[in-house]
Amino acid sequence: MSAEPQVSKVSPRARRALIMMIAGLPVGFFAGRWLLGLKRDGHWGGFDPSGGDMLTLVLAAFLVFAGLVTAGLAGSRKALGRRINGDDARAATPAQARFYVGQGLVLILAGAMLAAPPLAVTLFDPLSPLLASAVMTGLIALFLLQTVGNISQWMRSDELLRRTMAETAAVSFILLQGLLFLWAAGEKLALLPALTLWDAFNVTMIGYLAISMLVAWRRGFVE
Amino acid sequence: MKNRLKVLRAERDWSQADLAQRLDVSRQTINALETGKYDPSLPLAFRIARLFGHPIEAVFQDEA
Repeated sequence: MSAEPQVSKVSPRARRALIMMIAGLPVGFFAGRWLLGLKRDGHWGGFDPSGGDMLTLVLAAFLVFAGLVTAGLAGSRKALGRRINGDDARAATPAQARFYVGQGLVLILAGAMLAAPPLAVTLFDPLSPLLASAVMTGLIALFLLQTVGNISQWMRSDELLRRTMAETAAVSFILLQGLLFLWAAGEKLALLPALTLWDAFNVTMIGYLAISMLVAWRRGFVE
Repeated sequence: MKNRLKVLRAERDWSQADLAQRLDVSRQTINALETGKYDPSLPLAFRIARLFGHPIEAVFQDEA
C-alpha cells in the first residue's frame, strides 16, 4: 500500500491569513485587557467614549491601518509585485503602484472621517456650535475628496474589481435595508430599543465591510 | 461557463501575469476566470479569443 502525499486544497496565502487570524485572537484579547486596565487606573484622562463610539473608533483604526498597509505596499514595487503576481516574481508596474497608493489613501480618508465625529464629542465636551460647524465643514470637504478618490479608483479598476464592488453594493443595500426595516418595525412596535442614526450607521458599515470581504473571497481574491 | 484559458496559456508558456498584461486586466481576473469564479464580459471574451487566435466558442463553452 503506497501512501500518496495529501495535496492541501488551502493555498499558502490563505493558510498564512488563517494563521494570522488565529494568532491575532490572543493578541487582540490581551491588548484589549491592557487598554481596559489603563482605563480602570485612570490613564485615559477625560477620554471616555460611549460603547457605540468605541466601536466606531475601532472600525476607524482598522480602516486607517488597512490603508497604511495598502499604501505602504506600494513603497516597494518588487514587494507589491510579489503580492499581486504571486509566483511570477515581476515587479509591479507604476500604474499598479499608483492604484495601491490611491486605495490606501481612500481607506485612510474613510477612517479619518469615521473617527472625527466621536473624537470631537469625546475630546471637546461640551462641543461648542462653532467647533461642531468647523468639524462638519471639514467632514464635508473630506467626503468630497474621498468621493473623487473612489470615482478615480473605479475608473482605474478592471472589470472583475468593478463587478466585485457592484455586487458588494447590491448585496449590502438589500441585506442592510431589510435589517434596518426589521429593526425599525421592532422599534415601532416597542419590542426593540431605539437606535440612534450613528448606531445604525455603525451597523451598516460593519455589514458593508463583512459583505465586501465575502464577495471578494467568492470572486477569488483570496487565493 | 467553462473555458480553456489555462490550457491555451500553458501552450504558450505564459504566466497568469503575462496574460493579464496582454489583456490589460489584473492577474486576479485571470485567476478568477481560470478557476471558474468569474465569467468575462463579452468584450473581454472577444479580446481573449482574438489573442489566442481562436473563435470565441473554442475558448468558452456553455455548460448547459
